Amino acid sequence: MRKLAFFLIAALVFSAAISVTASAKVNITFLNSKGEIQAQLEEIAALYSEIAKDVTVEVIPCPVGQSPFEKVVSMYASGNAPTIAMVDAGDVKKFQDKALNLTGERWVQDAIPGSLDMATLEDGTVVGFPFAVEGYGLIYNKKVLDKALGKSFDPSSIRTRKDLQALFEELKNAGVAPLVISPLDWSLGAHFFAIAYAAQSPDPKQVDAFLKDLRAGKVDLQQNSVVHGLLDTFDVMRAYNIDKDDPLSGTYDRGSYLLGTGEVAMWFMGNWAWPQLSELDPEGEYGFLPVPISDNPDDYGNSQIPVGATKFLILDREQSSEAEQQAAKDFLNWLVYDAKGQDMLVNKLSIIPAFKNITLEPRDPLAKSILQYVRAGKTLQFVLDLPADHWRMVGAFMQKYLGNAISRDELLDEIENYWKNVK
Amino acid sequence: MVSEKTPFGKVGTYLLFAGPTTFAFFTVVILPFLFGVYLTLTNWDGLSATYLFVGLKNYRMVFEDRAFWTSFGLTLKYVAYTVVLTNVIAFTLAYLLTSGIRGQNFLRAGFFVPNLIGGIVLGLIWRFVFSNVLVYVGKRFGWELFLRSWLAHPDKAFWALVIVSVWQSSGYMMVIYIAGLMGIPKDLVEAATIEGATGLQRLRYVILPLLTPFTTVCIFLSLQRGFIVYDLNKALTEGGPYKSTELVAMHVYEKAFLAQQYEIGQSEAFFLFAMIVGVTLAQVYLGKRLEVEQ
Repeated sequence: MRKLAFFLIAALVFSAAISVTASAKVNITFLNSKGEIQAQLEEIAALYSEIAKDVTVEVIPCPVGQSPFEKVVSMYASGNAPTIAMVDAGDVKKFQDKALNLTGERWVQDAIPGSLDMATLEDGTVVGFPFAVEGYGLIYNKKVLDKALGKSFDPSSIRTRKDLQALFEELKNAGVAPLVISPLDWSLGAHFFAIAYAAQSPDPKQVDAFLKDLRAGKVDLQQNSVVHGLLDTFDVMRAYNIDKDDPLSGTYDRGSYLLGTGEVAMWFMGNWAWPQLSELDPEGEYGFLPVPISDNPDDYGNSQIPVGATKFLILDREQSSEAEQQAAKDFLNWLVYDAKGQDMLVNKLSIIPAFKNITLEPRDPLAKSILQYVRAGKTLQFVLDLPADHWRMVGAFMQKYLGNAISRDELLDEIENYWKNVK
Repeated sequence: MVSEKTPFGKVGTYLLFAGPTTFAFFTVVILPFLFGVYLTLTNWDGLSATYLFVGLKNYRMVFEDRAFWTSFGLTLKYVAYTVVLTNVIAFTLAYLLTSGIRGQNFLRAGFFVPNLIGGIVLGLIWRFVFSNVLVYVGKRFGWELFLRSWLAHPDKAFWALVIVSVWQSSGYMMVIYIAGLMGIPKDLVEAATIEGATGLQRLRYVILPLLTPFTTVCIFLSLQRGFIVYDLNKALTEGGPYKSTELVAMHVYEKAFLAQQYEIGQSEAFFLFAMIVGVTLAQVYLGKRLEVEQ
């Protein structure tokens, strides 16, 4: 009996000793939902763990095909919430019961106007850190275009649908496949069709009102010239698509491969494609063309590309200790204010930061192209406040349309119906 | 150590041997299941701290969810094809591989191997086969059937799912059938032969009736697997093209976590559970009635 008691006491003392040493070192977890930067983030976490000696950062990947929302919900349910979670802009406010109030942080003052909108509650509380500004459009491979056209390609020469069609025709005649459309539901639903919402008006309030009316069933898409204009452009793109005969079989990797190796001149995608493109063609020159929606060069949307803060970081206040919360805040400040942190953010992760104080020029040509559009004020709203299953549902309708399984009338009916019944 | 005689001793023995398992089963299966059933009566969205009791409203929503019924119908079709094909192929293979042909042990192992590969890996491999290898072959030899990726066409994508499922599980069922065939007493088959039964008659009147318990098990397993398939569906077609191959398990998952209508997804899951229990119980009951005494 005495032996047993001695053993128990020894075990107690030992475990207490362990927990004391452990508490000196703070472990924070970072859920990453941008799969393409997983390796780079891990390097940064290792670097930061060296710099801040008593903090270690562990990066947890969100599996491909699982939405960050699902992943975070299941991690909360298992009592294992990540200290920092990278979530989609539209999901930030759903975590307001669990997210730490960040209103007092220094970077709130330095954020680009509008970039905090998706993370600001009605009472003005900021609950999210804008992690990445992203944009999309028609990515062109300048080398291919220059060679096919026999002159240096000037992106500002394409200002209408007619211009775009003429360019496609010229490329086709020169023996280059004009473009590839990747038939991915998220790309077609959340990005391509969302241009039709954003281009309704330069005023974000009007766009919000348009979406509200859609929900209420008060919008007749058949009568909407912007929607028809966008789909007319889509018809042109379909006709010149390299996968025209089998439009639904493509994958994301096929798209980046075709553009990076110069087999096609253009690809409808966003700046997140740079890591893949740079593996194939690190020295290549790339840039964005807007998706034109009419033949009038002055129409809103013809010279603008959608840009917005798409990923936010939220800090857990429910299951993390004070020390962990503080360590997470410090890590964010390091990214925004430390020279090394800024360098990591911009150059290592190829991220366009949403902060005015970071003046580093990105090396990545897609990010550069987006910054040019931002500085020239030529941006559309990247509509992020869409229902959670919008990309999957509207994406599926667009796939049907792309594969010629439904007519445009049926497409518009399906989209209207979706909006009327959405939660 | 403990006496089996007294009631207390019996409980003690039970707890000693099965207690840990019972405890684990109760806490990780039964309790979450009951709690899940309770959640179908609330409007909890999976995340918020508070929720209300809403009665049977969620079940009414299940009946109004057209996409759920489309998926359900598709799943029935899928189950029908996979159950029949899997069992026919598995039985044929088992019959051939117990007839004493050369290298039968090697062949048995070969047919069983697909079952050792997980659904996700299998799905990705076959995805490559359907959209790259077969298309390449089709283009090379001008075969119309393979010129375009099967996964880009709704009907063909459905058949791709069926083919891969059958390929995956027929090896497993084959092993069960082989065990059954080896257990059939030789004297019965010999007696039938001496009395002049042809090979087909022996199969129809002696072997198949004696094999019924095994058939019941195999059909039960393939039914149950077919209804809850998710991994293969996700990895091979992702429900595409345009959600046309979304089986019911995938629909339930997406309803709960993607459309973020957790309470409806949970109700659909419970409904699906009830359907599977009903179908499999009926099947086992019918199978038992077909069994014969030796």
